[in-house]
Amino acid sequence: MIQICPAGTRYTVKNEWLESNLSFSFGEYYDTSNIRFGPLRVFNDDTVQGGRGFGIHPHREAEIVSIVLKGQLKHEDNLGNSGIISYGNIQRISAGTGVLHSEFNASNDEEVRFLQLWFSPNEKKLTPSYEDISYDVEQLQNNLLPVISHTASERVAGIHQDLTLYLSKLDGNKTLNFQQEEGRKIYIFTIEGEISINKDSILQSQDAARITDIHEITIQANQDSFFLLIDLPGGEF
Amino acid sequence: MLMIRHSIGSRLLCQTTNYRIEKQDDRWLISLSVDEETASTVLDFQDELNIFEAKENEKTWYYSSDSQINFQPNEKQLVILADHKTVYPTQ
Repeated sequence: MIQICPAGTRYTVKNEWLESNLSFSFGEYYDTSNIRFGPLRVFNDDTVQGGRGFGIHPHREAEIVSIVLKGQLKHEDNLGNSGIISYGNIQRISAGTGVLHSEFNASNDEEVRFLQLWFSPNEKKLTPSYEDISYDVEQLQNNLLPVISHTASERVAGIHQDLTLYLSKLDGNKTLNFQQEEGRKIYIFTIEGEISINKDSILQSQDAARITDIHEITIQANQDSFFLLIDLPGGEF
Repeated sequence: MLMIRHSIGSRLLCQTTNYRIEKQDDRWLISLSVDEETASTVLDFQDELNIFEAKENEKTWYYSSDSQINFQPNEKQLVILADHKTVYPTQ
């Protein structure tokens, strides 16, 4: 089944410094029918105004991934990590037994847009850890580029869950095929553009698809498009 | 002020000034007066709770990694045995 989640069905939190579009229950938005998709618990599409951000706060028992799409995000945590990430970088925090962190827009003038995803870890009480990596943006073109995986490498951030997150920029009318083992799930989010999945299911900009029981898909770009695909484990979470 | 929040997204589940925190060996026994409905809401998320004690310029974060929480209906007391405590500044 391919369940399309149009961008307009996301819950929006908006104030003077933040616009957050929430794909799953988070904070003040609580919908018992929209808690998770497999281990994916949070998918927030955040835009933060210049000089503003999220002050120091704790997390535990979550794998937290930030993907910057525009601008610069400044990270600090109580593990001694600090840095600024931008487009072409991926940040992963394993909160484990507990981490304190802050995330601010590093610029006073330009907004920062980033996706923040939380996954349930495959093991509890992990030692907290932090990683940021740079991926080769040239490799996105007409290719599914893995940027987060349970098998880490120099340009792929590691994660404590049996999943792989791919980014891709697909030229208009080009197609890509994706195949996974039976019993797994697929989550797709269109960052920009418009794509079709198996011809019939159309995802416009910022729409998402939750795919179960279909393990081989063809993705066609109806125009130049930028999207994210997550190969997720099946089973109960 | 004591606040109990969901660990995914920090939704506020309970807030009170009527609470007590006692040190017990390497743990902290947190007791608060709540009605049954609030207790039920908190217990629905017993595996994913963060407890915050807010003071001027600092917060103390507690949690029970093994979900040690129960409600005593006669006393209307929610009791949490926390095994984690971190104090951090809020400014």
